[in-house]
Amino acid sequence: MQILTIVLQIAILLAIVLLHVAYATYFERKIIGHMQVRLGPMMVGYHGLLQPIADGIKSFFKEDIVPEQADRPLFLFAPVICLVTMLTSLAVIPFAKGWVLADINIGLLFIFAMSSLASYGVILAGWASNSKYTFLGGLRSMAQVISYELPLGLSLVGVMMLSGSLNLTTIVDSQGSSFSSMYLFPQLIGFFVFFVAMLAETNRVPFDLPEAETELVSGYITEYSGMRYALFFMAEYIGMMVMSSIGTICFLGGWNGPFEVPFFPPFWFILKVYGFLFLFIWIRATLPRYRYDQLMALGWKLLLPLALLNIFLTGLFKILVH
Amino acid sequence: MTNKIIEKIQTAFPESITHYTEFRGEMTVEVNPTHWHDVALLLRDDEELEFNLLVDVYGTDRLKLPQSPRFAVNYELYSIPKNQFLRVIVATPDPAPSNSNTPLPEIQTVTDIWPTANWLERETYDLMGLNFSGHPYLHRIMMPDNWVGHPLRKDYPLGGEPVNFEHDRDHPRFAHLGKPVMVGPSFLTDLPPEMDTEKHMVVNFGPHHPATHGVLRLAVELDGEKIVRVSPETGYLHSGFEKTGENKRYEKFIPYCDRLDYLSPMNNNLAYVLTVEKLLEVDIPEHVQMVRVILAELQRIASHLAWLGTHVMDVSGMIHTLVMYTFQMRERILDLFEMVCGARMTTSYFSVGGLRWPLPGAFQDGVKSFLAELAGQLKDYHDMLTRNPVWLSRTQGIGYLPADTAIALGITGPMLRGAGVPLDLRKVRPYCGYDQFYFDVPTSTTADCYGRYLVRMEEMRQSMSIVEQAIAKLKPGPYRTADRKVALPPRPEISTSMESLIHHFKLVTEGYRPPVGQVYQVSENPKGWLGFGLISDGTAIPHRLRVRGPSFVNLQATDPMSRGGFIADLITNIGSIDIVLGEVDR
Repeated sequence: MQILTIVLQIAILLAIVLLHVAYATYFERKIIGHMQVRLGPMMVGYHGLLQPIADGIKSFFKEDIVPEQADRPLFLFAPVICLVTMLTSLAVIPFAKGWVLADINIGLLFIFAMSSLASYGVILAGWASNSKYTFLGGLRSMAQVISYELPLGLSLVGVMMLSGSLNLTTIVDSQGSSFSSMYLFPQLIGFFVFFVAMLAETNRVPFDLPEAETELVSGYITEYSGMRYALFFMAEYIGMMVMSSIGTICFLGGWNGPFEVPFFPPFWFILKVYGFLFLFIWIRATLPRYRYDQLMALGWKLLLPLALLNIFLTGLFKILVH
Repeated sequence: MTNKIIEKIQTAFPESITHYTEFRGEMTVEVNPTHWHDVALLLRDDEELEFNLLVDVYGTDRLKLPQSPRFAVNYELYSIPKNQFLRVIVATPDPAPSNSNTPLPEIQTVTDIWPTANWLERETYDLMGLNFSGHPYLHRIMMPDNWVGHPLRKDYPLGGEPVNFEHDRDHPRFAHLGKPVMVGPSFLTDLPPEMDTEKHMVVNFGPHHPATHGVLRLAVELDGEKIVRVSPETGYLHSGFEKTGENKRYEKFIPYCDRLDYLSPMNNNLAYVLTVEKLLEVDIPEHVQMVRVILAELQRIASHLAWLGTHVMDVSGMIHTLVMYTFQMRERILDLFEMVCGARMTTSYFSVGGLRWPLPGAFQDGVKSFLAELAGQLKDYHDMLTRNPVWLSRTQGIGYLPADTAIALGITGPMLRGAGVPLDLRKVRPYCGYDQFYFDVPTSTTADCYGRYLVRMEEMRQSMSIVEQAIAKLKPGPYRTADRKVALPPRPEISTSMESLIHHFKLVTEGYRPPVGQVYQVSENPKGWLGFGLISDGTAIPHRLRVRGPSFVNLQATDPMSRGGFIADLITNIGSIDIVLGEVDR
């Protein structure tokens, strides 16, 4: 009986998240459209509201082309790795008090592990396609993930030190429910490092080098088509949501808000996540892309020292207070 | 000046000059092929001559002209310090026909003197069939490698010939198709020999690549992400503009000009029309000149806006907002063009001797309101980019092209001004009444992509100022020259004047017949110097029509600019060169 409940919960979570992913693309296209004095999707449904569904149906029924010289099993499996790891990390995210599938004690570490695994999908996709563009995209992704995993992890060490836990629910609880007690304020440096590293980790502009459509055509997904191509996109958007959720949990006080919304406790959580998503999109419409070596320099020479400095300052603060 | 050049050459190499003419203010010196290479060195290096810019190289086939030998090569030279043009014609001796096939006429290359001659000579070899001895890489550049014949020759059949495009799986040329990346070579067999395909990875950028702005193919030799060598390959869009022009009446080529650099049709029209007018010696009314300046400068702004949007898009990704902003403003300019002539891109508005139609009444107000709006928008663009740290890090120090390299490569336009050479034809050799306006020639000494960005941004402001001045000076007047031999008489006149009717009939059925002679006119296009060369044999159809596309010449700079940089820099550089493939391939 208990297993049945869990399976049901998983199914509901998946359905909701995938629906959100579909509408995140709509959200992005609409916002960018309006930023660019366009309308965005308008044809399918009222103001294009059914566009994501049409896109899903289209990509589902498109031919799944596998290049002749590709490494077939890996080529077919790579998008699945991306998607599965991203979906798995959803399990530990608390959307509201008690609204979590697996309230494990190493939630934060688990998410890091999963997002690192997702980069395997990208690298394997680049390698298995057996094309030069995808190969370069895969190499870039590998280098990028290694360089940005470090500052991303280190930027959250300050949060762990303040809350004394890796459990995401505990982290939210230890921030309290008032505005001023959010970790954003004591961890401002950490938040900055986290935000930049998060953009790089999710391969978003200005760090979208593995894709880099104007340089590498489409990077690691050049040879993909149909539903497998869509799987990569879903993985990217879920990645964005997971990272935004971590940002919300660790720095913005999770589901706490100015007042409690009756019947729907995750209201503030979702609002904050969408705030992050809006930032992602805003940056995408505004900033040029970094170059490969500049990306590396930024990661190792600026973000890593800043993250270490943040840990040092947090430690100093803890010693002085106690 | 003229005599000095002749004297100089004569004293250094007696008997090298076989003929000397002056026509429409252009000097033409015919030089003996045996002395040509030495004369070229003298022309470049002598302190009183300093012809440091080789503008154009093109061959002529004089099969139907009373001249021999059959082929000649024309070199259009310009001296930047002396502001002086010179045309050198070198006739190539006809080769002795051997038993099986006639060898190509041979002439010594000048690539070692002016590196820009590299591609121009390749084009002459390809289309005219002249062999340049000593050329580093004499391959076809426009036509496919397996093409038979040389299309610009006068005995080349017009139509009806088999087309040598093939896609034969068994042909060795396509043997690489479907081969794996890591194991076999996946590049074409016609790579430059110095490319090391064993040690480095060679990637084909294009012809279908999002950042090559059309069908340009770049074979890029990569060491990791670093670029070792770039070899651009053109000709995918070659449509034989020159050959077409040589089989049409002068006036009929104007619509073809629109398709050259399709982002600046007005400037192309202007350049061509000026060339024909120079050949015909027509006086152009003041009103027409002003209108031409207004439209040409508006087109310059439009072209720069399209450049800015696509350049930012190359550097950023497809979703950058500035693309939409600049194209929105360009749209306003296209609306103005539509108001003027009904077309947005293929305008063909300028005709020889004037304008095709009178200017509509609402035009001036439309331009004024557009300029007011653009001023605010330009500020926004500056706010978005000029001090943006990511933009700075992507463009500063990237694509370094110093002035001496640029001049040697024949680079013109904003690319050269971005290297600190204030060379603007509108200033140094004003045409179409540009001497009546106050404007600056923006330059930058950084010689990188950022410098060129600043130059183009400032050029837009200067163009706005010129348009404002021209609008203020614009007075009503005739929209065509009164010379009835060139421009059609007004319609009502035909029903009253017999002479007008005859002129109308003659012009429509036969066209005008310019005097025998050769002219070459360059004008400052948004992308550089657009040159048109015309050789008239006295008939209504040009004997030789030459188009010098600035994009084609500027594209040669891709390799020196990109070596040692990253893949991302290559894309920035292509954007910064600002090419239009319609003009590269012609």
